[in-house]
Amino acid sequence: MADEQKTAEASAEGVVVDTSELGSVRETERAQGDPLFDPTNLQVPPLDFRWSRVPTERPPRPKIGPEGFLLRQADYGSYGWAPDHWPYENDTPRGSFPARDRGLPAPYTIYDKYQVWAENSADLYEQAVRERWSAANDIRWGTLEPLSETRELALDQIYTWVSEQAYNSSQWIMRWLKEISYGYHEVKLYLATQTFDHARHTEVFRKRALANGGNLGVETPGFLNRTVAASFKFTELVVYINIIRSTILLGLMETIQGLDLAQADRQIAELTARDLRRHISYGSEHLRYFLQMHPEKRSEVENWLLRGEVMVAADFGRDGALRTAMILALGDTVTEGKEKRRQMLRLMMKRYLEALTAGTVYRRVEKMAPELSELGEETERHEAEATAAAP
Amino acid sequence: MALSPETLEMLRREPDADDLDLSWLENLTGKEGMRAVPGRRGLTIDEINQGSYGEIPEVTTNRTGRIRGATHRPDSPRYSNLWAEKNASWSAAAGLLYEEAVARQWSSAVDVPWAELPEIGEDLELAMSQLMTFLTQVEFIAGDVPGQYAANISPEFMEVGLFLATQIMDEARHLDVFRKRALANGVGLLQAGNGAIGLMQSQDFTEMTATLHLVGEGFVQSLFRMGEMFAQTEVDKKMFRLAAQDESRHVAFGVMHMKHVLEQEPERREEIHSYLDRQEGLLGQGSTQAGLTGGGPTGESMAILLGGGKDEIRLEEGYRKLSAIRKRQITEYMNRLEVVGLGDRRQRMAPQMRAVLEASMTNGNGHKNGSH
Repeated sequence: MADEQKTAEASAEGVVVDTSELGSVRETERAQGDPLFDPTNLQVPPLDFRWSRVPTERPPRPKIGPEGFLLRQADYGSYGWAPDHWPYENDTPRGSFPARDRGLPAPYTIYDKYQVWAENSADLYEQAVRERWSAANDIRWGTLEPLSETRELALDQIYTWVSEQAYNSSQWIMRWLKEISYGYHEVKLYLATQTFDHARHTEVFRKRALANGGNLGVETPGFLNRTVAASFKFTELVVYINIIRSTILLGLMETIQGLDLAQADRQIAELTARDLRRHISYGSEHLRYFLQMHPEKRSEVENWLLRGEVMVAADFGRDGALRTAMILALGDTVTEGKEKRRQMLRLMMKRYLEALTAGTVYRRVEKMAPELSELGEETERHEAEATAAAP
Repeated sequence: MALSPETLEMLRREPDADDLDLSWLENLTGKEGMRAVPGRRGLTIDEINQGSYGEIPEVTTNRTGRIRGATHRPDSPRYSNLWAEKNASWSAAAGLLYEEAVARQWSSAVDVPWAELPEIGEDLELAMSQLMTFLTQVEFIAGDVPGQYAANISPEFMEVGLFLATQIMDEARHLDVFRKRALANGVGLLQAGNGAIGLMQSQDFTEMTATLHLVGEGFVQSLFRMGEMFAQTEVDKKMFRLAAQDESRHVAFGVMHMKHVLEQEPERREEIHSYLDRQEGLLGQGSTQAGLTGGGPTGESMAILLGGGKDEIRLEEGYRKLSAIRKRQITEYMNRLEVVGLGDRRQRMAPQMRAVLEASMTNGNGHKNGSH
């Protein structure tokens, strides 16, 4: 933040006005020992104003509607056009007139639109801002009532699992921001909202686990967490977090919303589900765009999906605590809990397959990791039966 | 809270329960049976951090993704990138600032009264758009920079990780609102500069805090707080007020981190001075924060806004006010350094900064001109 300010304002320290082209409004010659602008003898420094004549687009004044002044509305004409390849290595804003001296090239590594783009990024950003909520104040914590110790500890185990995953997602999306060049600002803005959502999920589920007489449970086996951390590509990260993890968690949240629990529990699940739907929407749209622009990379997507599925299956397979907690939380008896857990797993799978379909990945069950394929087939069968039975 | 032996036995005898893993219910490490109660500001992190859940270790043995207070699994993978030492990133205000940030989120779409934005004359609108171009350029660098350390923050120190997420959200909104302002009144974005990429070179969290939170964001926060001086409309005033509020949290995080480090690791004092030397411009490299003079697109546009036009008399007045703003930025920066325990920075500041500070004092161009 400081560096540009300095340069812009340092020009008075020894300004050479370049009149050769508009791209160089001015350059600073900063030879050691040059006299600094001396504020004790205030003189208006050599003036330029060429910045006011650069040939950028003049946008029309927006008509402000009930939803306010939206990013999509602001990014009019050339301002809204994100090129397939972003040519500037620094933080030049899209639509501005680039400086000839652009300073230090940034460490960004993503300059191609297909690697990050989703057409709905700007809209999801605004939606996320509109749908923001506070764990401290928007949850009716006072509605929590003591549960049986079995059910409370079972819920706390599930909430510990969600909190840990949310922290992992938040960490790694934040980490990837420095890879994404400035030209795709809608994506960076959207991802900022997603990492903020994950932060809120981290704390709200931790708070809930500690708010009703229980305590935190056991950590996860961590296979998916580790896979997220080890992502080599941004789209790979999106597959793990926005497609695989988010659909699993959405299935869980939708299930919790249907349980006979306190209003606080249901509110948390409802608000989290709303956030997750945005995450999935970005993930599906990014996947669609990625595959549309590079259909030859479909096998990469299939590989990421397979890897993620295997890791999820490993987590579920090893996490005896989570399995038991789900059974105890969902049913009044173990038998009922097992049946309801199976229903929930089918819902998770359904949401996963829907997200993939939206992302133009079809017939995934045929290629699914063997550990999950039975659940995939079962889910498709149930859906077909439900469709057939519908009036 | 652990499950009672009687309840466990009942569970084991339930039909269909033979394949249930119940061992974890006997081995949970958290034993308190927590029942946190919302306080005046709701159920905040401070309210939930009771008993062992609120104990922040100086050095953690938690090298996995385990949330603080959860029970360890012996087969969980390690992350070598996680910092084990509290001093590496801790800021005592992180939890509080996180909650504050969540409570004070705002929307650039609806909380700024865009429909009331009047036409302000071409020179002033061009100047405002140029200033907005500069801010659009640099604001999200302050999101990219802390983001690069997020994966190093152990969940044992999760409050820091949560706070960083709020900062990134705030910076996104700043990029968004300043971009919208440039595009709202008929001019659009103008001349980009060479940016703030240098801030991404930090190699250590405390270095990042010194250069980004204390210097960069500190100067910007002071600028936004004086937004009334160069804002031409109620829209602009509201925008700067809201942004200043966000920047205050970022600066507060940095102040508290630096204070913690200097109290716990006083031997790092000279190292921290060296970061400030670099960022202030003492090393003589390129242009830095010490370039606190009046020229360049940003300086010119601010002078036009501060003076109310670009004829010679107004510009001179604008530059006088700009000088006062620079003095205020440096004074507030030095005050913050005093709070963190670096009061001696006043004697060590970059000469360019000292020149601005002393000149303003000598000339009285600040307060006497009614610019504050």
